[in-house]
Amino acid sequence: MTTADLLLVALGAVAVGAGVLVVSTRHIVRAGLWLVVNLLAVAGCYLVLAAELVAWVQVLLYVGAVVVLLLFAVMLTRAPIGASDDLDRPRWPGALIGGGAGLGLAALFVSGYRWSRVDLPSPGTATALGEQIFTAWVLPFEVVGVLLLAALIGAIVVSRPDIGSR
Amino acid sequence: MTTDIAAETLKLPSLDYAALAPMLILFGVGCVGVLVEAIAPKKARFPVQLVLAVLGIAASLTAIVLAAGTEKVTAAGAVAVDGPGLFLQGSIAVLGLVALLLISERSLERGGAFVAQAAVTANSEADRDQATRGSGATEVYPLIIFSLGGMMLFAAANDLLTMFVALEVFSLPLYLLCAMARRRRLLSQEAALKYFLLGAFASAFFLFGIALVYGYAGRVDFAGIHAAVLDSPNDIALLYIGLAMVAIGLLFKAALAPFHVWTPDVYQGAPTPVTALMAACTKVAAFGGLLRVLYVAFERSQWDYRPVLGAIAVLTMLVGAVLAVTQTDIKRLLAYSSIANAGYVLVGVLAISKAGLASSLFYLVAYGFSVLAAFGIVTLVRDADGEATHLSRWAGLGRRSPLYATLFTFLLLAFAGIPLTSGFTAKFGVFAAAIEADQTWLVIAGVITSAIIAFPYLRVVVMMWLSEPGESTPAVSLPGALTAAAVTIGAAATLLLGIVPQPLLDMTENAAHFVR
Repeated sequence: MTTADLLLVALGAVAVGAGVLVVSTRHIVRAGLWLVVNLLAVAGCYLVLAAELVAWVQVLLYVGAVVVLLLFAVMLTRAPIGASDDLDRPRWPGALIGGGAGLGLAALFVSGYRWSRVDLPSPGTATALGEQIFTAWVLPFEVVGVLLLAALIGAIVVSRPDIGSR
Repeated sequence: MTTDIAAETLKLPSLDYAALAPMLILFGVGCVGVLVEAIAPKKARFPVQLVLAVLGIAASLTAIVLAAGTEKVTAAGAVAVDGPGLFLQGSIAVLGLVALLLISERSLERGGAFVAQAAVTANSEADRDQATRGSGATEVYPLIIFSLGGMMLFAAANDLLTMFVALEVFSLPLYLLCAMARRRRLLSQEAALKYFLLGAFASAFFLFGIALVYGYAGRVDFAGIHAAVLDSPNDIALLYIGLAMVAIGLLFKAALAPFHVWTPDVYQGAPTPVTALMAACTKVAAFGGLLRVLYVAFERSQWDYRPVLGAIAVLTMLVGAVLAVTQTDIKRLLAYSSIANAGYVLVGVLAISKAGLASSLFYLVAYGFSVLAAFGIVTLVRDADGEATHLSRWAGLGRRSPLYATLFTFLLLAFAGIPLTSGFTAKFGVFAAAIEADQTWLVIAGVITSAIIAFPYLRVVVMMWLSEPGESTPAVSLPGALTAAAVTIGAAATLLLGIVPQPLLDMTENAAHFVR
């Protein structure tokens, strides 16, 4: 086992543990904070796999923007700050389905790859990624822009009560 | 230094703009529509948006007709332009245009079927006020155009990632449109949220499936996957589970059992013109994607997926037909009918042959026209509170307005597959293709469920004609020119495709060849 392997296993364990806590905690704010831990651990996995740009984008977008947005939403709506019992659902069905799906997928990967070695491709630097985006994936990339525009318009339409008053 | 390297090595892929034009035109028109919202004065927006949208779709359709006969893969393998792709894009454009007529109708209700301020709390004073008086939203036009563009890209996508992006582009506007019904706001918002959450779930399955397929094949483009199926040294379980997850995403969009549970709620809650758009165009796009994935990428593992998808087709037909019997709301009834019809299309798809492909294409177009006309008539049966969708309200409609009752009866007979309607030609086509491909068990299930689902259709017919009109039977509104045009086009196409189906059959026959 190399250092990279150990790091991956450790970060993976942190990610899974934090993920379980996100869905099992009774405090909605703590769920958001555990999500930060989970996302940071996943970003760490990307770094170990030499995908530096993806790792930083993960930190910037998910930790920096999405979770902050989530916490703002909790703050601005009248969500309870302390432990709230109504966050809880009967745990068995969820645990069964979630655990079953997770274990099943883990078994699939173990049986799929066993001890086969996959060489890491060249590091995911900004240059390499940009080159891929603007050559092989240029059309889907541009269409994502259309998707974001549609999402923006939609967000305005469903959230602004003063729209169309002019 | 790095910029020098990039400038030297960055070689842009060749883009065939003529072949991409149908989608590019729509995306461009959508962006112009957004600008119109920002610039044009409030009064001018509706006519400007309507004309812009109609011209945009017409221009897109022209580009599709001009590209007819092209067979190539362009944009670095992201888009395949071929017979089925162009045919599906053309159907989406034509059906979308008819749906746009329904969506633009403003004479039935002041301001149209859409509420101006979707954010106002449902059932509040302000909400009741805007339900009766407020002008409608015109932001729906750019959203619909984006959605249609996404559907066209979905039907032509040649790798799984492009397909995923297109899936999101056409789904997101639909989630939003569902939330904007003028009447029964809570039902509409519930439908939108349900559709959004379940749709996000299905998208996640699709994405995970892409990852697994990539893990097996090492590629995401369909030609690469085709080459890797059976030949890759990796564990075949990765391929099976990956394909299953990709299929779940696609089956959800096509509303096939057991991934159909959203359909009745969303079809009931959404504004009826949007329901018509979803029933006609989304179905075409979803089956377009499914066809390409099954026929182009995974053709060589057809012996593995055919029994599973066959079971899903049988289950879908059964669920749609049996549950349609118990419905008391006309929109839910049509939703279950659309589920059952998706099952019949899947029977054609599973023939995995040229005949199967051609008959599925024909079925999608024939069903699209009929369902557009049917929902068009649903928008007309209304009282002071909006549409009267409960079945008991339809009792005796034949006495009140024989013309619309006759039209609706004809459309229901088409759904049931009675000869001289497009439904018969379409069903005959998919069943014949399935028998040719030795899938007789699917045809047996199809015939049995056709008999079951004829019952709820006939019950509506009997109710309309043989019951006395009661106190609560609403009058049928005189349609505006746009709805009248949409219903006429839909019903005429249903009749014509039943009597002289040959031109369209020839067209599907000629189109039925995928490029790889």
